[in-house]
Amino acid sequence: MNTFTLGLRNAFRNAVRSISIMFILGLSIGLCLVMLIADQAVKQKINDVKSAVGTTITIAPAGFNSFSDANNALTTSSVDKVKSLAHITNLAEVLADRLTTIGAAQPSFSRFGGDANTNAQTSLTSPVTLNTNGDNNGGIGSRIFVNGGGSLPANFSLPVPIVGTTDPTKLNSNDAILKSGAMLDGAKDSNDAMISTAMASKNNLGVGSTFTAYGQTLQVVGLFDTGNQGANSTVVVSLATLQRLTGQTGDITSAVATVDTLDNLSAATTAVKNMLGSSADVQSAQEEANNAVQPLENVASISLISLMGAVIAGGVIILLTMVMIVRERRREIGILKAIGASNSRVVLQFMSEALTLTVAGALIGVVIGVAGGNPVTNMLVSSSTTASLSSTAQTSSGGARFAGGGRFFGTRSVTGNFLQRSGNGLLNSASNVTTNIGWSILAYGLAASLLIAAIGSSFAGWMIARVKPYEVMRAE
Amino acid sequence: MIEVRDLTKTFQSGDTTVSAVRNVSFSVPEGKFVSIIGKSGSGKSTLLSLLGALDRPSKGSINIAGHDIAALGDRSLVDYRRKKIGFVFQSYNLIPNLTALENVMLPMSFNGLPSGSRLRRATELLDQVGITSDKQQRKPGKLSGGEQQRVAIARALANRPALILADEPTGNLDTETGKKIFDLLHKLSREQKTTIIVVTHDLSIAGRTDESFRLQDGKLVKAK
Repeated sequence: MNTFTLGLRNAFRNAVRSISIMFILGLSIGLCLVMLIADQAVKQKINDVKSAVGTTITIAPAGFNSFSDANNALTTSSVDKVKSLAHITNLAEVLADRLTTIGAAQPSFSRFGGDANTNAQTSLTSPVTLNTNGDNNGGIGSRIFVNGGGSLPANFSLPVPIVGTTDPTKLNSNDAILKSGAMLDGAKDSNDAMISTAMASKNNLGVGSTFTAYGQTLQVVGLFDTGNQGANSTVVVSLATLQRLTGQTGDITSAVATVDTLDNLSAATTAVKNMLGSSADVQSAQEEANNAVQPLENVASISLISLMGAVIAGGVIILLTMVMIVRERRREIGILKAIGASNSRVVLQFMSEALTLTVAGALIGVVIGVAGGNPVTNMLVSSSTTASLSSTAQTSSGGARFAGGGRFFGTRSVTGNFLQRSGNGLLNSASNVTTNIGWSILAYGLAASLLIAAIGSSFAGWMIARVKPYEVMRAE
Repeated sequence: MIEVRDLTKTFQSGDTTVSAVRNVSFSVPEGKFVSIIGKSGSGKSTLLSLLGALDRPSKGSINIAGHDIAALGDRSLVDYRRKKIGFVFQSYNLIPNLTALENVMLPMSFNGLPSGSRLRRATELLDQVGITSDKQQRKPGKLSGGEQQRVAIARALANRPALILADEPTGNLDTETGKKIFDLLHKLSREQKTTIIVVTHDLSIAGRTDESFRLQDGKLVKAK
């Protein structure tokens, strides 16, 4: 009988105790694997999010505040200078406003940085409908409060956002996929517009149909879909068109600059910040991504610490078990040495016993890891991102909030809501973590069990080496 | 030939130095059956553990087949125990989760003997000491005291040692069984020319060995 067989058999000498130890080790190794799965999934997601956000820089008015009607405006002339900077390959400028539906019960709106535009009306009805029951109405990611606890009017309709942009292919962070007609020319001042297929369906419109806005007739040149309800409720026109229609010549509400490579993003962001100074808040996509993945970074840290903790716990369990076993079998160790076993041989026998216990524990742990990896990861990510979303919502909650008899706080809230949605979209995207449980997990489980066995049996080995063979004679 | 010269073993017990064995000298010719008698605490077991290289002497030399084992390093001592010494203990000291056969095979596996040869020799030895084939597959807990001691003797003989050291081999057995075990050891000594040193306080056993020594307060005197 060789040393390993002897160790294997010894592991099952006390079946009840061995099985209990295996289950405890299984829990420990299972926790290791769960944390490893969570760590891998979260890190993969962090990389995906960071690589997916691209090489863009967002430029917004300085000190942007949703609660205030008075904000700094950006102008085309100031932002256009960014185009001249090195590594900037494209600059998309946006002016956003909101339209009320003619005849619908709606609050009044004020324009960006100015008074209410009484002309900001449209024949369109928003494709987004609200639950009008009670005073706590679910909307597009927001809660709506009506003063006095009343309910929304029956002919209530959500305002229709309108965006003037130099790049109609992008709607905030969403790609506008052309479904029919033609893509709008963002550089041309015309009464052409693009609407979503949802908006077209709601208003019985198609390519070539017309609708009114700001008292003018606009023609639908293309239908798009973004896959996002908020973005799909938006009318898209060229920047010059909206500036003309709103009388905000030269004003923009945000801009997105594209940098040639990720390596130049940081330097280009600094250059843009230096150029625009205090007139604009400049944030790179990478910074946005970093903010969005911050909760995931926290989850990764937690999972890594828990992983180490679980390995240490497993090691301590097997260490204490082996110390107990060595103390119990001190005399037997003396006998083995007396009949000719070397120290290394006895240590190897006890190590194989520890290994048997941990490998059996690892098998149980793999089952626990596979079963618990996904739910635990989701729970960790969910609790972490929920806290982050709640924090974001608290700092920019003015975007879609009724107050004072149902008045929206200015058009700025449109942009605010867009940005919030955009940020939350990234955060929501980051929170959709998919775990991947493959053969590598089995390999890691085995490696963890080897590590735990090595940690656990090292001290036992030292104790074994100290057992003197004459102790067997003393015990006689 | 075993030659022991001025063998001394002292222990430190708190502030007191205890001399378990004091300047013991004796020699045993090859193939002899020798007994060491003495009261409890006289140093019998200490002397046996020194002869078996389980412990190192404080002073003196133990010469077995021309080698002074007191001067051997740890690794050489393991080799010496494995190849030259067979132990028989009062409480048998068999490994409880191994069968009788596996217990006998164990020292041979330490010696690197192939499994087939181990099995053959273990079976042969167990047959020789009177353990029938059905009992060879039993674990020690399923054997009587006498049978366990027979297995222990077979285990001691496994690697064909030059010296068998038996510490009170009949101490846990009834008189009849004890006599049979003693007869077995005597027979093995005669047939296999193996030197056997038995530590006992049973004077009737001591009277039947080739030579007998008495250990008193760590000092050895020839009794027979």
